[in-house]
Amino acid sequence: MTASAAVRRLGKYREVARMSARNKLRYRGNFAGSMLTYGLFVYVFSRIWAAAYAGKAGIAGYDYSMSVWYFIIAEVSVFGFGRFFWNLAEDLKSGQVAYLLAKPYGFIGYHFAQAMGQGLLDAGVIFLEGLAAGLILAGLPPNFMLWRLALVMVSLLIAGCLQFFLQMSIAMTAFWVEENAAFFWIFQKLALVVGTLLPLEFLPLWAQTAAVWTPLPSLSYAPGRIAVAASPGESLVLMGLQLAWLAAATLLSRLVFMAGHRKISIQGG
Amino acid sequence: MNRNTWISAYARFLGTTFSVNLQAVMEYRVNFLIQAFGMMLNNAAFALFWGVLIERTGGIGGYGFSDIMFIWALVSSSFGLAHILFGNIRSLGRIVQKGELDLYLLQPKDVFLNLLASRTIVSAWGDFIYGFIVLCFLPGLSLGRLAIFSSFVCSGGLIFAATFAAAESLTFFMGNSSAISSAIAEFMLSFSLYPETVFDRGMRWVFYSILPSGFIAFVPLAVFKGLNWAMMPLVWIVALAYVAASYSLFRLGLKRYESGNQIGARL
Repeated sequence: MTASAAVRRLGKYREVARMSARNKLRYRGNFAGSMLTYGLFVYVFSRIWAAAYAGKAGIAGYDYSMSVWYFIIAEVSVFGFGRFFWNLAEDLKSGQVAYLLAKPYGFIGYHFAQAMGQGLLDAGVIFLEGLAAGLILAGLPPNFMLWRLALVMVSLLIAGCLQFFLQMSIAMTAFWVEENAAFFWIFQKLALVVGTLLPLEFLPLWAQTAAVWTPLPSLSYAPGRIAVAASPGESLVLMGLQLAWLAAATLLSRLVFMAGHRKISIQGG
Repeated sequence: MNRNTWISAYARFLGTTFSVNLQAVMEYRVNFLIQAFGMMLNNAAFALFWGVLIERTGGIGGYGFSDIMFIWALVSSSFGLAHILFGNIRSLGRIVQKGELDLYLLQPKDVFLNLLASRTIVSAWGDFIYGFIVLCFLPGLSLGRLAIFSSFVCSGGLIFAATFAAAESLTFFMGNSSAISSAIAEFMLSFSLYPETVFDRGMRWVFYSILPSGFIAFVPLAVFKGLNWAMMPLVWIVALAYVAASYSLFRLGLKRYESGNQIGARL
């Protein structure tokens, strides 16, 4: 494939992402709900951390300011990219998949572009809200440097892509099992406990050891840790792991699709 | 109709709607089990969070693990009960907005009660059951404490239902109260599930007025821990006052309702 053909091919996905983002921007009130919930969550957890650190300088290597900032960044991944599953699963269950397969798009690529078009906007808005809330509740982030901010944004972007491919793989279980929400709930709650509500260092040693072998720390822990504590070297290791898991999740979603799309039977309409 | 006949007629009516709603839910058993399981899993994730945090800190704002699990149990079951019995408490505004109230106005039962009770929320069963499961694991459980807990689940359910329905009834006055009612629901749930003492003193009055989390979780915790039965009637009086206020707001709003002449049927 020539370079211009590759650019043309990617161009159609860029267009899908752009339309998806414009659609989201058309209904700006949609941001209000997640902004309110996120703001409330950040406030409540800042109060919990304040009570937890009363009379204590640090817990598991984190002080009050680090814990608040960690939570703020870790939740951006959840609020920005954590709910793709519902639309994906609905498209599969409602039969929308039959229309999409006939279009000149890759099925996964189309959904990726559509999800990220909206997800990046959601995450961007939540990220800005988080920065403002963090400054009010905990002051400047600990060890604040511009390179850290840049790495956090890259890490969040990788986390968003990883969220998509994992959720897409789970959503595509609808090819075999129609009621697949339970799979997503299990994934979602594991992700919540492993590295979103609390940094990994808070967990018992056995849980930390087990978590390293899963993609869960790459979803929220990596950007959260990079934001508050990781050295440049540790940040690069965390992002390297995120990229490795992203490659594995992309492959997984491709395999699930190849196995699952043979189950579709289209009966006119 | 005398008072006793009226009460027994409405008890029969609520029993019938509950039974019909339950049959509708059980028609899709797998869906029911998945949603109930999902809700329990959601709550259990937070129990793990609290377990780890309290293991590290020894307590949060004077609350130990059992205290926090008690309020999670109570709030889950109360919230669940409110949505099982009165599944339309968070759809009331949408129903008014779409002009779908006509259907209920034509029926002989009280519009407010009929409307709220005509639906059940499937996932709420998970919340309801979860609270009782957690209670079984709390230390010092006795028949007396189970009775106190069950009583507070009922009063808490009424307070949740009354507050959510009141927020939704604002649609009569504002045209669309979805933003404010979502905010009230989010805030009320969040403030009920976390230790009261972590919040600033200046805002705690909110928990005993606009967002009555105090009467759903914090006062019952004190009663449960001290087996202080004398406080129980107070919580019930407050719950009934919230119900009366919510009902009055709905009736006031109903006078402003304009029919959309929509034709519909309840199946």
